Amino acid sequence: MAERYSSFRSGSTSWLLQRVTAAFLVVVLAFHFFLLHFVQHASEVTFAGTTARMEEWGYLLTMVLFLLTATFHGVNGVYAALLNQGLTGTAKRAVQVVLAIAGLALAGQGTYLALVMSGVM
Amino acid sequence: MSTQVPKEDERTESVEHEAEDSAEQPEASHGDRRRADRDAKRQSVSGAPAEPEQDAFRLKVFRYDPEVEGKMEPRFDDFSVPREKGMTVLDALIYARDTYDTTLTFRHSCRQAVCGSDALFINGRQRLGCQTQISDLDKPVRVEPLPHQDVVKDLVVDMEHFYDQMHAVEPFFQPDEESPGDLEEYRQSPENREEIKMSTRCIWCGACMSSCNIAAGDNQYLGPAAINKAYRFAMDEREGENMKEHRLNVMDQEHGVWRCQTQFSCTNVCPKDIPLTEHIQELKREAVKQNLKFW
Amino acid sequence: MSQSYNRGLVEDFGRWREFTAGMWAWIFHKFTGWVLVGYLFTHIAVLSTAIAGANGQTVLVGGEQLNVYTATIQGLESLLIVRVMEVGLLAVAVFHILNGVRLLFVDLGLGLESQDKSFYASLIVTGVIVIASIPTFLEGAF
Repeated sequence: MAERYSSFRSGSTSWLLQRVTAAFLVVVLAFHFFLLHFVQHASEVTFAGTTARMEEWGYLLTMVLFLLTATFHGVNGVYAALLNQGLTGTAKRAVQVVLAIAGLALAGQGTYLALVMSGVM
Repeated sequence: MSTQVPKEDERTESVEHEAEDSAEQPEASHGDRRRADRDAKRQSVSGAPAEPEQDAFRLKVFRYDPEVEGKMEPRFDDFSVPREKGMTVLDALIYARDTYDTTLTFRHSCRQAVCGSDALFINGRQRLGCQTQISDLDKPVRVEPLPHQDVVKDLVVDMEHFYDQMHAVEPFFQPDEESPGDLEEYRQSPENREEIKMSTRCIWCGACMSSCNIAAGDNQYLGPAAINKAYRFAMDEREGENMKEHRLNVMDQEHGVWRCQTQFSCTNVCPKDIPLTEHIQELKREAVKQNLKFW
Repeated sequence: MSQSYNRGLVEDFGRWREFTAGMWAWIFHKFTGWVLVGYLFTHIAVLSTAIAGANGQTVLVGGEQLNVYTATIQGLESLLIVRVMEVGLLAVAVFHILNGVRLLFVDLGLGLESQDKSFYASLIVTGVIVIASIPTFLEGAF
């Protein structure tokens, strides 16, 4: 009875993180859409404009957090959708590896990109 | 119905058209009435093949029998069933079986929504045959076995998997401590009883499991009924803290509560109105709380 | 049960007319989720032209040297199909946000009785927001 299940294996941590990131993303995604379609038009985006925005630390930090939470939320969501289909054994392991690599690659590339845009790198 | 049916005086309930042709007769005892009813039906059967009744409806029933030559390919059979006031889908099925085809197979027992053996897929929704009034349904009435379960014969599905899931959650009372005296009762506060009241109403009919999209795709998923069963005991304060932790651990599995995606299908179809989704959600929150405590 | 009959997919999507609000909400949420995660990958890929842009790489557009990042984005934005797809993306995102908020409430156990109404509400609000945004999104696309 005292046995402890790893909470990552159980699904409670990913369930909770999915909700926490969701709450954050609701706000930031709405802001992102509003800023780049209504305040500024997507068709008028220029390299200079982007770097000017990204040079602000607050904005840069928000965007990087946006990227990381969105990546987690998206990749974890895909994984959950596949679990619903009764994914087991080797197929499940393969999916985990592929999704982890894709997620890390996206987060890495995105973060690097953000730093380049902000002029840090 | 063609024959003069000695029929129950339909009390004063709002008159419904299906009762119109039944001759109104003085109140007879229940048994008399049933017997008379049944005899009358027999007559109408043995007589001319029920001259085209004006007030009959069509009952479409799924037929399948792997052991009979002509029934290996599933099909629908149509039965014409005379309307009667207060007739349920189960009544109609019994009528069809007794009148037209004695091989028509379906489970039923108590006929009053207690035994849980006649959950069927009626007009595209999981319902109890004995609890569903014909007058509430669009015609023709289409009756099929529960979806997402293998059909054994006609309307009979294989419930083995459902029972396995139910047993997996240890659906019995396991207190941490023996009750003090030998025959002492385990006392429960009225508030706590109220909390688990709805969850105790489950009749193991399997309607929820059949309606669940996730249970359909993921065979390991415990399903709404089993999780509700676990809720019934996890929330019962008489079992004690250790037991609750154990029960939450059983729920806190990939194929436990976390597979529920709150589609509310189970809650919608539950014939006993158990707020299944609400219970599953509460267990999720309890499991998260328990895990946070250990960090 | 070797001798039993499995009715297969007909039981699921063949019955779409009988789906309830909660099921539609789930289907739409999954679908929009897949679209959004797909877009996220594409989005980062397109924006990655900024790395070349930061190195001063330019392309010739209409007789004018433009930063490769600027040229890529403005080139895409000048295509009508991209603009129309952006409206679709907005619809998908707004629905996912609104239904996501609905799901957060469901997870907190709030308002479970009106979960179907809140789904219809999120559909309607999505429609309104998208229609109201079309002029802004298609501005200068023709």
